[in-house]
Amino acid sequence: MNYCTGFDSPLGLDRRNFLRSFGMGLGGIALADLIQAAEQKGHSFTGAGDPVPKAKRVIYLFQSGAPSQIDLFDHKPQLIKDHGKQLPDSIRKGQRLTGMSGNQASLPLVGSPFEFKQHGESGAWVSDLLPHTAKIADDLCFVKSMYTEAINHGPGVTFMQSGSQFPGRPSIGAWLDYGLGSLNKDLPSFVVMTTKGKGGQPLVSRFWGSGFLPGKHDGVRLRPDKDAVLYLNSPKGVDSSDRRKVLDHLRRLHEHQLEQTSDPALETRIAQYEMAFNMQRSIPDVTDLSDEPESTFELYGEDARKPGTFAANCLLARRLAERDTRFIQLYHPGWDQHSGLPKGIRTQCKETDQASAALVTDLKNRGLLDDTLVIWGGEFGRTNYCQGKLTANNFGRDHHPRCFTMWMAGGGVKSGTSHGQTDDYSYNVVDGGVHVHDFHATLLHLLGIDHERLTFKYQGRHFRLTDVHGKIVKPILA
Amino acid sequence: MLPARPSLPIILLALGNLPLSAERPVDFNRDIRPILSDRCYKCHGPDAKNQKSDFRLDTREHAITDLGGYFGIVPGDLEKSDLHLLIRSDDKSEVMPPPKSKMSLSEKEKDLLDRWIKEGARYDKHWSLKELPSEIPVPAATDWASTPVDPFILRAATDFGLKPSPQASRESWLRRVTFDLTGLPPTIAEIKAFLAEKAPDAFEKVVDRLLSSHAYAERMTSEWLDVARYSDSFGYQRDNERHVWPYRDWVLRAFRDNLSYDQFATWQIAGDLLPNATRDQILATTFNRLHPQKVEGGSVPEEFRIEYVSDRLHTFGTAFLGLTMECTRCHDHKYDPITAKEYYQLSSYFANIDEAGLYSFFTRSVPPPTLNLTTPQQDKQLTEADKGIAGAEKKLAAVIDGSDAAFKSWLQDPGVFLSFGLLSHTSFDGREGGKLPDRVRPDKTANTSANNESVKGVHGQGLRLTGDDPVSLKDIGNFNRTQPFTIGLWMNTPMLLERAVIVRRSKAWSDAASRGYELLLEDGKLSAALIHFYPGNALRIRSKEILPIGEWHHLTMSYDGSSRAAGLQLYLDGELLDTEVIRDKLTREITGGGDPFIALGQRMRDNGFKGGLVDELQIFDRELTPLEAAQLHDGKTLSELLIAVKEDDIVLPGKSTQQLRAYFLSSHQPHIDALTALRKARDTKRAIQDKLTEIMVMQEMEEPRPAYLLERGVYDARGEQVTAGTPAALPSFPKDQPNNRLGLAHWLIDPKHPLTGRVTVNRYWQIFFGKGLVSTPEDFGSQGQPPSHPELLDWLARDFIDHGWDLHHLIKQITLSSTYRQSSPTDPKIREIDPENIYLARGTTNRLSAEMIRDHALATSGLLVNKFGGPPVKPYEVAVSYKPAKPDKGEGLYRRSLYTWWKRTSPAPMMMTLNASKRDVCRVHREVTNSPLQAFVLLNAPQFVEAARVMADELIAKHPAAPDALIEEAFRALTSRKPDPTESSILRALYDEQLALFEKEPAKAAALLKTGDAPARKDLPAHQQAATAVLINAIMNFDEAVTKR
Repeated sequence: MNYCTGFDSPLGLDRRNFLRSFGMGLGGIALADLIQAAEQKGHSFTGAGDPVPKAKRVIYLFQSGAPSQIDLFDHKPQLIKDHGKQLPDSIRKGQRLTGMSGNQASLPLVGSPFEFKQHGESGAWVSDLLPHTAKIADDLCFVKSMYTEAINHGPGVTFMQSGSQFPGRPSIGAWLDYGLGSLNKDLPSFVVMTTKGKGGQPLVSRFWGSGFLPGKHDGVRLRPDKDAVLYLNSPKGVDSSDRRKVLDHLRRLHEHQLEQTSDPALETRIAQYEMAFNMQRSIPDVTDLSDEPESTFELYGEDARKPGTFAANCLLARRLAERDTRFIQLYHPGWDQHSGLPKGIRTQCKETDQASAALVTDLKNRGLLDDTLVIWGGEFGRTNYCQGKLTANNFGRDHHPRCFTMWMAGGGVKSGTSHGQTDDYSYNVVDGGVHVHDFHATLLHLLGIDHERLTFKYQGRHFRLTDVHGKIVKPILA
Repeated sequence: MLPARPSLPIILLALGNLPLSAERPVDFNRDIRPILSDRCYKCHGPDAKNQKSDFRLDTREHAITDLGGYFGIVPGDLEKSDLHLLIRSDDKSEVMPPPKSKMSLSEKEKDLLDRWIKEGARYDKHWSLKELPSEIPVPAATDWASTPVDPFILRAATDFGLKPSPQASRESWLRRVTFDLTGLPPTIAEIKAFLAEKAPDAFEKVVDRLLSSHAYAERMTSEWLDVARYSDSFGYQRDNERHVWPYRDWVLRAFRDNLSYDQFATWQIAGDLLPNATRDQILATTFNRLHPQKVEGGSVPEEFRIEYVSDRLHTFGTAFLGLTMECTRCHDHKYDPITAKEYYQLSSYFANIDEAGLYSFFTRSVPPPTLNLTTPQQDKQLTEADKGIAGAEKKLAAVIDGSDAAFKSWLQDPGVFLSFGLLSHTSFDGREGGKLPDRVRPDKTANTSANNESVKGVHGQGLRLTGDDPVSLKDIGNFNRTQPFTIGLWMNTPMLLERAVIVRRSKAWSDAASRGYELLLEDGKLSAALIHFYPGNALRIRSKEILPIGEWHHLTMSYDGSSRAAGLQLYLDGELLDTEVIRDKLTREITGGGDPFIALGQRMRDNGFKGGLVDELQIFDRELTPLEAAQLHDGKTLSELLIAVKEDDIVLPGKSTQQLRAYFLSSHQPHIDALTALRKARDTKRAIQDKLTEIMVMQEMEEPRPAYLLERGVYDARGEQVTAGTPAALPSFPKDQPNNRLGLAHWLIDPKHPLTGRVTVNRYWQIFFGKGLVSTPEDFGSQGQPPSHPELLDWLARDFIDHGWDLHHLIKQITLSSTYRQSSPTDPKIREIDPENIYLARGTTNRLSAEMIRDHALATSGLLVNKFGGPPVKPYEVAVSYKPAKPDKGEGLYRRSLYTWWKRTSPAPMMMTLNASKRDVCRVHREVTNSPLQAFVLLNAPQFVEAARVMADELIAKHPAAPDALIEEAFRALTSRKPDPTESSILRALYDEQLALFEKEPAKAAALLKTGDAPARKDLPAHQQAATAVLINAIMNFDEAVTKR
C-alpha cells in the first residue's frame, strides 16, 4: 500500500486534484515536501475537532532502566517509619510481583535514605539527589501517578515508546513524523541519541523503529563519532566541492532521464540527492559545538564537552530543537538498581541532573520552551520493598509497574504543578492515575493531534499509538 | 487534517476517472462491502461482544430482521430502511456513523448504499472466501497475447480506455527478468548473446536458464526469509545469536530443486508429522520456531509461550491464508467472519510442542524440541556407541545371572554394613558460624548464612531454612548424566508448598532452563529431575502422594546413570515411593549451567524452602540399593539384617533375598567392573551427543496441550477450553486427516481451497510487478483491497494448482507474457489515467531491493563470491550497526546479501536504510521509500566505494587509453544498456573533471584508493583509478542502476 498516494490529503486535496494542479504528479518526497512547506505557512491541523497545537517539537529524555520514584520525587515518610517491616498485604492486595523478587521469602520495606525538601513556589518534593532539577521545580509539571502494565524492561520501554508491549508497532517519533512531517527538510525529523558507554539493560533499535509505518519514519540515530549519521561522510579523498561537482552531473543524468521517461519518481530521486548533500552540511552544523560560548558549558556542565555523554546529548537536543527537529529522543540507561541502589542512583543523578535542568533553562532563555515539550522519565517505577538483602547501608529495588513519576516542561503543560498521588507506601496510585496510553494521548494532544484520528491502516485495521484507549490528562494542560 | 485513512482505496480514485463505472449495477463485494466493513462493522459487525445495538449488518439475515417494529433494511424500500434514514439524518444524536466515531460517509457512498437498498440489498460471500473455481474461461486471445495472462490484462485495460505499451527493448526485458529471477544483473556477455539470439524461443530459453541457476534459488529464498521472519538471533532485548541457518539452506535447496509449493508449505508446517519424515522434512519445520524468543530475567514463561504460539499462527495466517489473525486474538474479528474462539482453535495446532517460554540466559542450549544435525560420521559413531552400550548391558545382565554361587557363599558371611561411596555427610551438628562440618571430609564444610537457624533436628541439630539463603557444598556434586549418584536427607516441610527447592545442583530456574539436577516440592509432592533444558530435554519423576507436612521424613533420591526416567528413584523413609514419569527424554549434558555444586533450600529467582527443616545430608557417588535407602532412614534395617543372616541362618522372604542380592552385587567385583564398562560405553555416547549440532524444530507432543480461549488475549485469563479446528467460514477440515498440523497442512493445500492458491500466486505476481493483483498481500479479508483482476487471479491460481503447484510453470506464465514485456516510459496522459499502473498497460518500474542493490555492485565489480549456502557472514556494514560487530575478512565481505548475518536488535544498517524487512514478524511486502540516507549509503559506504574502485581497475586495464569505451562499458554493466550521446557526454565531463582534480591532488587519489580491503592495482595511474572509481560510483547512484524499468 502506498500511503502517500491514497490518503485524504492534509491539505484537503485528493490525489487527482493534486495531480492536475501539478501537471503530472509527484513522488513520495516531493509530495511530502509540498505538504510540509504548506504546514510551515500555518495550514496544518485545521480539521474540525483537532486540538490547537501547543508544542511544535518534543525532547524526550528517556531514563532507561526505571528510576526509583521513591528516592527522587515520591516522598513517603510512612516508608521511613516502617523501614524493615514486611510489605503489608493490605497494600499489596495480592497483585503479581516480578519473577525476580516475587519468590523471595521476605519483602522488607525500604524508606528512602535521601533527604527530601519542598522546592519553589509550587512546593514540589524533590530529593537532594537532584539539586539542579529542584531549582527549576516551578518550570516542571510532575506526574506522580504514572502506571504501566509491563514488568520487564523490554516490554516496558516498548510500551512507553509504541503503546504496545510487543514489538512491531511504530514508536512515538515515527508516528509524529508520519502525522506531522518534517519542519526542516535538511535534517531528519526524528533523531535519537543514546548515552555512550553505559551498561545496564540494553537498548535496541526497535525502540525507535517505524513498526508497520514505512521505514523512512524510523528514528535516525546521531552517533557520537565521525559519521554522526550512517555513512554521512564522503569517502577519504572526496571533499565537499568534489562531491558537489559529481552530484551536479548526476542531476543532469536524472533530468535527462526524466525527459525520456516522464516518470515523476525521478523528481524524487533528484530531490533525494539534493537533500543528502544539504544534510552533509547541516548535520555537522548541529554536532559541531565550537560556536557554543563558555557559558553553555557552565550551564550544562563540563560533561557536555565529551561526545556521547548525556550532557552533550542534551546540548545537541537544544541545537536540534533550534533547527526544528520534530522529535528528539535521548536514552540514558543505567537506572536498574536491583541492588546497590544508594551508590547506583547517585551516579545516575550526577550524570543527568544538571544537564536535564540546563536544557529546560536554556530552552526557556531562548524562548523555545513554550513550543517545545520536554519529557523526563523511565519505563516503570521501583518497589517500596527491598530486592535481595536489606542491610544498614545497602539495598535494591525491583521493577514496579503500579506507580512511577515523570516530569514534563514547556509545550503546553502546566508548570509548577504536581499531578496525581500514590498511597503512603508509593505502591498503588490513589488519585489521578495516568496510564501509558493517557500519557500518549496527552502528548499528541499537545502537538495538536487527536489521538483517535492519527491512524494507519495495517493488516486491515486502523492502528493508533493509543490502541483503543487513552484519555487526555486535562489537569496538566496549561 | 490528519492522514486518518491513508489507504482510501486507490482503485476508487482510478475508477472516478473512468467512463463505465456509473452505469454498472451495484456489486456488493466491490461497492458495498468496503463501506460497511470500514465504517459500520466495528459496531454492527461480526464481533458479538461489540454490538452497540441489536442491529447487525454483517449478514443479510441480520440486516433485514424485524427489530421490534423497525428495520435496518427493507430491501427495495428506502423510506422504511433505518439505514437510509440514519446515514442521511441531520440530527447529530442519531446520524450514522456517529460523529464521535470520527468516521463519515461521502455523498457518493451514501448514494451507493441507497442504490444498493433499492436494488434489493443483496449480499454476497466475500470474494476471497469463495471456493476457487475449477475452471476460469480465458478471454479470447489477440495477436498481442503471448501467454493466457495477457487476454485478462488486455480486457481490463481496454475496458478502462487503455492500450498496451510497446514491447520493451530486449535489454530492458533481460535486465528485468534477470533481476526478478536471480536478484542479479545480466552480464554484458549475456546481453550480447540474447541480442544475437534469433530463435523464436529466445525468451523462454533465457527464463529456463535463469530458473535453473543457483542464483534463482537465492533470490526466491531472499523473498521467503521475510515471510519466515528469518533471523540469526533470538530478538527481543537480549537478542543472543542462534543457529538456524541450516533452515535457510533448506529453503535454498527447496527452490533449487523446485520443490512443489504444496510440499514446500506442508514440510514447513508439519514436516515432522509426515510418515517416516526425512531430515529435510523435519528441518523445514524450523519455520515455526523463527519467531523472536525471550530471555529477560523475571519474565513470565507462559506469557511468552503463548506469544510464540500466536506468532506461529499469525505467520501461518499471513503467509498462506492472507488473513489477519491478530484482531481475533482479543475479540471476535470486527470485519471478517472469524471469532476469537476460532483463533484459539486454530492456534492450538501450533501449541503442541514441549517448549519453554524463555530460552536460557546462563547456557547456550538450543531450546527444545530440536533436531540433531549429525554428520554421516557422527551417525556411524552413534550406531557404534549404541552397540557398545547394548553389549555392556548384556554383559552386566550376564554377570548378575552368573552371580548365584558367589551370592550364596556371601550369605554365609556378609560382613558388616559399610556405606561405601559416601562422598559427604553434613550432620548440621558442630556449627561454627556459617560453617557446618562434613563428617566424611574433615577439611571441608558446608556454608550457610546466619539467617538459617540451627534448630533441633532428627539427630542432634538440624537447620531451619529462610528460603532466601542457601546451604552450599561448594565442591561436590558436579555429576554428569552417566554418573550414578544418591542424595539422602531428612526434611520437615512446614506447610503445603506450591513450589520449593529442596536440593539443587543448578544455578537458576527459567534463567538457566533449570540445567542440572534438582529435588523439589511441587504442589506438595516430591519431584526429582535431571535436566538439560526444561521441559523439552529432561527426566522428571514425581510422587503421586503429597509429602506429609509438619513432621520429619527421610528422603533418598538415587540415579543410575542411564539417562532414563526409569533410572531415577525416590524413597520416603526407606520405602520406594510410588511416582509417575513426567519427562523422559534426556539426550544432552546436565552440567555446565553454573553453580557446579550442591545447595539446599534456595535458588536464584526460584521459590526457596521457606521455613523448611533439614538434617543429615548424605551424598554418594553411586546408586544406593533399596536396603541401603532403608538403612539411611533408620540406621538399622540393613545392618541388622546382615547380622541376622549371618547369626541366625534365617530363611529370608523372596523380596529380602532380592534386595540383599542387590546390595551384595554393589560390592561384587565382577559387577562393579561390568558397571564401570557400561558407564564407559555411555560416556562414549554422551561425548558424541553433547557435541552434536542442533536446530529448533517442531515435534508433536504425545497428547495435545489443553487449549483455552484467552480473554482479551491475556495469557492467564483462561476462558472456555477449545479443541483444534479450522474457522467455519473456511472449508471444512478433511475427514480423512488427523486433527493436527499435518491435517491442517492437507486442509491448506486442498486444490479447492479459496485462499492458498490465490494468496500464493499473488505474492509471486508481486515479485514481477512490484504490487500484487491484490495490493494488500497480507490481507485478503474485507478490509484488504479487492483484486484488480479477479478472474486473472483465479485463473493463475487454478493453473498453478493444476500444474502441481509448480513455481517454474507459474513464473513462465508471467515472465513470458506480453504484459511483462511492455516498456515502462509512457505518455503522461496514460500516467494520469492510471497513475498507480493498476491496469498494467505499461511496464512497471520498481526500485531494486536492498539485497539487489548491494549484490549488483558486487556482481558488476567482480567482487561477488558465489558460494551457495553456509553460515551467515559479516560484511563491512556490521561494523556500523547499532551494536557494532567485527566484519569478516576475505570472502565474507563479498557474499550475496542473503547471507548477511541478521541480528534483530541491530540489523545490517545498509539493508535497513534500503528498506529491507526487520524480520520481527512475518512480512509479505516491503514498503519502498526514498530518503537522503539511502544516498549516503550508495555514495559513501565502503562496500560501494570499494566495488567502484575494483571495477575501475578492471576497466582501466581493459581500456587504458579509451575513456569513452570505458564509460560505455561501465554504464552498460550497471544499467544493461549503452549510454545515449547525452549521457555519454555528461559522464565524460564528469570523468575529465575528476581526472584533473585527482591529478592535481595525488594525496586524495591515494586516500580514496585505500577504501575497502581489496588491494588497488599498483601498475595503474592512481589519478585515473580514482577518477574512474568516482565515475563508476556516480553511475551506481544513477536511477537506472537502482531501478527496474
